[in-house]
Amino acid sequence: MKKFLTAIFAMASTTCVLAQETESSPLEISGSVDTYFKYDFAKNPLNAKTSFVTDHNSVSLGMIDIALKKKTGKASFVGELSFGPRGQSQSIPDAAAGGSSFNIQNLYVNYDFTDEFSMTAGYMGTFIGYEVISPVGNFNYSTSYLFTNGPFQNAGIKATYKFSDKVSLMAGVFNDWNVYSATRGVSAVGGQLMVAPVEGWTAYINALSGAGFGGYGTIVDLTTAYQITEKFKLALNAANYDIKDSAVPGSYAGAALYPQYAVSDAVALGLRGEYFKFKAAGAVPETAFTAVTLTANIKSGGLTFIPEVRLDHNKDKPFFNKSGAAAPNGGQFSLAAVYAF
Amino acid sequence: MKYIILGILTIFTLKLSAQQKQFSKDDNGKLIYYQVVDSQSVSKDTLLQRAKSFVTGIYKKSMKLVSSTDSSVLAKGTMVIDKTILVAGHPSGEVSYNFVFEVRQGKYRFWLTDMLFIPYQRDRYGNFVPTTTIGVPLERTPGKLGAGAWKDILSSAYNKVEKFGDEFKKYLASNRIGKMKKKTETISTKKW
Repeated sequence: MKKFLTAIFAMASTTCVLAQETESSPLEISGSVDTYFKYDFAKNPLNAKTSFVTDHNSVSLGMIDIALKKKTGKASFVGELSFGPRGQSQSIPDAAAGGSSFNIQNLYVNYDFTDEFSMTAGYMGTFIGYEVISPVGNFNYSTSYLFTNGPFQNAGIKATYKFSDKVSLMAGVFNDWNVYSATRGVSAVGGQLMVAPVEGWTAYINALSGAGFGGYGTIVDLTTAYQITEKFKLALNAANYDIKDSAVPGSYAGAALYPQYAVSDAVALGLRGEYFKFKAAGAVPETAFTAVTLTANIKSGGLTFIPEVRLDHNKDKPFFNKSGAAAPNGGQFSLAAVYAF
Repeated sequence: MKYIILGILTIFTLKLSAQQKQFSKDDNGKLIYYQVVDSQSVSKDTLLQRAKSFVTGIYKKSMKLVSSTDSSVLAKGTMVIDKTILVAGHPSGEVSYNFVFEVRQGKYRFWLTDMLFIPYQRDRYGNFVPTTTIGVPLERTPGKLGAGAWKDILSSAYNKVEKFGDEFKKYLASNRIGKMKKKTETISTKKW
């Protein structure tokens, strides 16, 4: 404990000293901790078809997430590590460590050549989609099918040019999805166009083509959010993914709508309505899910309680009822506690 | 170990004393940071020029000049509020404000008001970004759940505004602020 505290003070002091000598921001330390209880209405943990919140009738762990950021002059880095099921075995292809290692959420360096143009290299949260791994970044605690089936992170190098506060463009080359080092070379190209047509409304049009899940494929994604009033926000995520080899399962299409309403300063309610389908591939037929998730966020300081009810449907009966028979519907209640610092 | 405990206590003491400062309220019940400064040694025109230069030069990245006359400057600005954990921290939000400067011969006054808070949230890349474009007035009365956090925001906002005010006064007095580079002293080793 003594060594730990001494190390923190030494690190912080070094930061302060450096800050006096160069144009340098203080070392930023942030992170989160989350835990949850979930009860599956059919008492079957296999009914969870999306990422995280997998256990049934259990007080379970999410993850502890710690992020460091530092900017000196025009150069900066971000390093973000997570420990716990949400950040480890449930989150990454962590086969080498048997799912027992930590997960790097972000590890990259950035250089701002000008106020408008910057380049970033390393391992980054994906630019595809609305939801993210960190529970702090999502309104709902459970995740969408679009999130689960899309990329989580991309390693690569990207360039971003900001034309104005309303328009920016990113383009880059990337490894295959969710890997620290490429298994098929730097074999994907991606881009993102950001537009903010009116105040409060931001839209991202994303594309990523190359090595990914199921071989080589192309994903096109629209993610947009509009703060319509002080209390009401509406977001939309729609995506289409096509694997080049049409006989390989995994191609999908879907859309999710996120209306959110702030009841008070501390309480907000949100709904997620999603339609998602896996496309037919070879002998595997198309199958479609619909899901509705009602979530509340109750905030007190850094702590957020997230009670949530989720109902899923698929006519092909991928769920299980209480007796273990195939069923078209799944449902769950969860209560999560997320602390952000 | 006792030095570490002493260090922690010192930090908490400093933090507590910092929290005691707070904004005043104007005639309309709005929070305001208001200063009147005697400045006999600098002319009215110079003060006005320096005030403009402060807005459009020193603080050009975070302030925007709205209008100016021969005795006033009106500007809008934003400042980032930090959340501190021990001696490190991260941005927790930003406060936007209206800045008014008025000058007469021998004195000037300035104030910051119409302050709105926009909270930050860490994005997928680990950067802190605004969660919304609609700010919350600093005058609002928070609910019980958010009272502690709001108090910290007010305290942090006041500290930032006070620092801004000090820099402004220093710049108008001397046309320079603390962080401007000092001229390096040249030492000759040829003669001694």
